[in-house]
Amino acid sequence: MKGLLAQIIRRLQLRESWVIFFILGIIMMTFPFMHIFNQPILLLGYPLLFLYLVVGWVISIIVIYLFMIASRTNGGSATEKDEP
Amino acid sequence: MNGVISSVATVSIVYAVLIFLVALYAHQRKDKKRSIISNPVVYALSLGVYCTTWTFFGSIGKAATTGIDFLMIYLGPSLTAFSWLFLLRRIIRISKEHNITSIADFISQRYGKSPWLGALVTLISLLGIMPYIALQLKAVSTSFNLLSGTQASATGFVTVGSGADIPTGLILALVLALFSIIFGARRLVSSERHEGLIAAVAFESLVKLVALLAVGLFVTYGLFDGFTDIFTRLNNSDPERFAQLFTFDTSGTNPDYISTFTLLFLSMSAIMLLPRQFHVMVIENSDERHIATAMWLFPAYLFLINLFVMPIAIGGILTTGSSSNADYFVISLPQQAGYHGIALLAFLGGMSAAAGMVMVESIAISTMLLNHIFMPIIIRLTPRAWFPALLINLKRFGIVLVILLGYFYFLVIGDSYTLVNMGLISFSAAAQFLPAMLGGLYWKRGNKAGAISGLLLGFLVWLYTLLIPSFSMSGWIPHTLLSHGPFGITLLKPTELFGLTDMDLWSHSLFWSMLFNISAYIICSILLNQSEHERDQVHRFIGVFDRDESRRRTERKRLSKPVTAEQFITLMSKFIGESEARLAFKQYSNGTIGTGTISEFELPNLKRFAEKTLAGSVGGAAANAIVSSFLSDLGSSMEPVYDIFSTVRANLDQNRESLFVRLKASEIINRTLDLQVIMDDLLALLVKEFKFDVALISTRKDGGAFTIISTQGGLIQSLNPPDWYPEHGPFLDLAYGDQKAHFINDLRLEHTASPLDQTVAAGFIASAHIPIFREGEPVIAVLSLFSKSIAGLFTQEFIELLSSLAGQLAQAITIVQEVNAKQLERSQKEAALLKTARITRDMEIAQQIQESFLPESAPVIAGVDIAGRCISAAHVGGDYYDFFLRGDHIVDLVIADISGHSVGAALIMSEVRTLLRTEANSTHPPRAVLETLNIQLHDDLSRAELFITMFYAEYNSVTGVLCYANAGHNHPVLLRTDDTVFHELDTEGLILGVKKEVVFEEGSIDLVPGDLLLFYTDGLTEASNATGEMFGTARAYNHLKAHRRLSATEILDSLYAVIHEFTGSQDLQDDISMIVIKIR
Repeated sequence: MKGLLAQIIRRLQLRESWVIFFILGIIMMTFPFMHIFNQPILLLGYPLLFLYLVVGWVISIIVIYLFMIASRTNGGSATEKDEP
Repeated sequence: MNGVISSVATVSIVYAVLIFLVALYAHQRKDKKRSIISNPVVYALSLGVYCTTWTFFGSIGKAATTGIDFLMIYLGPSLTAFSWLFLLRRIIRISKEHNITSIADFISQRYGKSPWLGALVTLISLLGIMPYIALQLKAVSTSFNLLSGTQASATGFVTVGSGADIPTGLILALVLALFSIIFGARRLVSSERHEGLIAAVAFESLVKLVALLAVGLFVTYGLFDGFTDIFTRLNNSDPERFAQLFTFDTSGTNPDYISTFTLLFLSMSAIMLLPRQFHVMVIENSDERHIATAMWLFPAYLFLINLFVMPIAIGGILTTGSSSNADYFVISLPQQAGYHGIALLAFLGGMSAAAGMVMVESIAISTMLLNHIFMPIIIRLTPRAWFPALLINLKRFGIVLVILLGYFYFLVIGDSYTLVNMGLISFSAAAQFLPAMLGGLYWKRGNKAGAISGLLLGFLVWLYTLLIPSFSMSGWIPHTLLSHGPFGITLLKPTELFGLTDMDLWSHSLFWSMLFNISAYIICSILLNQSEHERDQVHRFIGVFDRDESRRRTERKRLSKPVTAEQFITLMSKFIGESEARLAFKQYSNGTIGTGTISEFELPNLKRFAEKTLAGSVGGAAANAIVSSFLSDLGSSMEPVYDIFSTVRANLDQNRESLFVRLKASEIINRTLDLQVIMDDLLALLVKEFKFDVALISTRKDGGAFTIISTQGGLIQSLNPPDWYPEHGPFLDLAYGDQKAHFINDLRLEHTASPLDQTVAAGFIASAHIPIFREGEPVIAVLSLFSKSIAGLFTQEFIELLSSLAGQLAQAITIVQEVNAKQLERSQKEAALLKTARITRDMEIAQQIQESFLPESAPVIAGVDIAGRCISAAHVGGDYYDFFLRGDHIVDLVIADISGHSVGAALIMSEVRTLLRTEANSTHPPRAVLETLNIQLHDDLSRAELFITMFYAEYNSVTGVLCYANAGHNHPVLLRTDDTVFHELDTEGLILGVKKEVVFEEGSIDLVPGDLLLFYTDGLTEASNATGEMFGTARAYNHLKAHRRLSATEILDSLYAVIHEFTGSQDLQDDISMIVIKIR
């Protein structure tokens, strides 16, 4: 378990990971995904689209938080050096 | 009624005082160097200035009318947060390095500090933000009226009981302007962080979050029974509205994702590009590391503040039964339920939201106005003492202008737009900065022309498709513009440009503006070139993380005229006030720089510092212009004309001073061939032009010690090296060895292997040793330069110039040396010729004398016919023959050959002659003569390493007996008449000069008439022809036989003739002497 976490944190230090998550976020906010959840129905008492957006948002915040931990583990400014 | 108003007003004032106290506290903490705003949480909260009354009131209105798409405005920034670690960090790094004051400054600096670009961005910001400010004023004044229960006209005039109109909106605007001035324009330096402002903004962010959460909790759990209860109730009571609110635009056949995406895109760019966001994010950032925390904390803040928006909106709909006036549910819901306290808290939250936004926005834009609109005009004026006052007041004026423009828009638009729709107009304006910004950060080719044209076109499209329609909808501009287009041209209808219909207002405007903006930016950037200045900036912006490189490039300048630091301070005082200027200079110099003349090394840094300091107040473009014009007035401009050693943009006509020195140097070199004069004059030129204290040229003698051959400057005009000079020996050796210049820019700091203590003690602080040599040749000498005043004098460019001068000097030295060498060679040749001529003359004389030693004619004796002759090969020869007559019937005959043809041989010959002459008078036989002669000559001969072969004979004509002795000579030959056999006369005897005691054998022979004798030297038999064949004895004998009938003289003649014929030349290789004796 600990090894897995370290592995995840190491992956998150990569610049590519940031870009991938950024693009993934945009994709989740546009047509195909939105269309799936664009239904006027309640799920567990919550509107489906509302639930999707709110849960997705929370997940994205957690992901950024993990990124931040990762960048701190790496000495904070390691990613800077990868700047083109 | 008045009581309610006054109580609301009182609470507002108390709240305002509270904010002031927070700000004051922040200031005090800052003065104690324990800043509270230098904290990642405060930084994240200050970013919450993004949430304005739009969020507080407008989101709920939008949620209640169009539904969940309001969330896009907050999801966008959350997504953008992913990019902050690169994007935001980069922007902050650049801004810190360039002392950037606003987004206009940033864009203008990136594109070559273009003043036009700065002005354009300022204009777009000013007009673009107008609806946004109006939104705040409208929201707060409406909520005020709502809370106080007054009825207000759309323009915000409250009619109170007495009949007087209170313009709530205007009062609010003025109060906010006052706040902004106090927080943001007390002092001029705008790149300095506003601790109070940020503390207040962060505090307000907290207040609005708490207020909205309180209202949300109250509605969700007070009025209703939690989230699910609200959602289920709406689904049951009004499924149609439920579907409308919780899906994207299901009214059409196709769900409209375009507008969703538009909102997402607008908010993603707005979070970075709105002037106030840029201000709090970049300008007010105190530490790059705060970004990391803000990256998750700010989205979390947005999440929390929006969590209850949907429940409140639905709760409002369920309670009031409709979505009308849904913008103000946060106040009306608690109020209707009788919870005035919560309503008041909500009002304070709304006011916080508005105040924070208006303050930061107006400060940010007034800074831009000052730097990019007012400053370009002001810098054309002569700086005066009242400039600081003017500038600060202009900034205050800017704040008021920004807010009043918002108020004006609020008056015009009134109720025709909802809050969110007003805000989106501003978002669209801010989005226009995106191409120039991103392109500027990552695309090297992006240029000024592209940025200006892109921004201008995007702005015009935005103006035409959003701002003008908003005026038109409110009736301020005739409505026909919207329905029929300008001049009835439907293709140009602002909301359906070029026939693009069925698109919402924002997507339509965004599509066209971005199309024109991005296209113009890219096309112009590709087609047109960047200016030199622009390229410099591109390098600094895009290469911001390669700091060393960017540093190095900027320091490479050298100026020609001295400037004092005091002059810089005076200049800065005119713009930021004297105390500020002195403080800034003190912090910059750290006491290392006096206020007197500054070194030329320091000047570029000081120039940058002055620019940076001024940029903090007046923006980069203006600061650059101010400092440049100041320096050019002083004649110390950094302009290329004066920038004499810049290789970066060296160009012949720009490099005047360098050219002047080179020209002078070549004049000096070409004027004379006297090396000493050349070196002295050249050093004098260097000393005069570059203010060296000592300049000298030294050269290495064979022993390795250095000798000074020329000196100029402070040294006494002698060539004795000063005491400190030997310390530089190692450097001279180095220069000799590697043929490179060795310089020390600050002797006091340099810790070299070889100490230079005496040099430092003598007051020198910079030295350079430049080898004088021609490419590919060894070093001739070393040029040494010393300065007592200018540390850091020897820049790369300067050394290159000096090296090139040294090369010129080396050339001159070589030329002079060549000329001298040629002259020497010529005179040597002449001397040699003269000498040869003299020698030749001497030799001729010697020859004449020598010839005179030989007998003029043969002696006449009865019965004998004698002839003798010598023909020399060289001028003086070694052959000798002689006759000595004793009485009238005895004759001595001698023939000798002295080795060599030198003068020595000739001298020996004369000695031999002298000795023989005395000997001949005695009656010694030939053997005794040779023995005596050998003894007498031995010492002389062995000293001169010469030998003599000699044949000596004595003929008695009476007896007919020939007595003879031979000292190694060729055997004479005897031809008798009766036979054909040749008799060689031979006796034992050693060559003269080999041994002292030699015994010679004596021979004798009776001669009869008809006998023919030939005495000869080896020149005869060894005479050779062209093929190398020798004349030999056989030919000589045969010739004698053939011509025996001739007289002695005739035989001699014929013999010489045949030899000449044989050798084919008149010149003989060796002397030939012959004596012919014919017995009659």
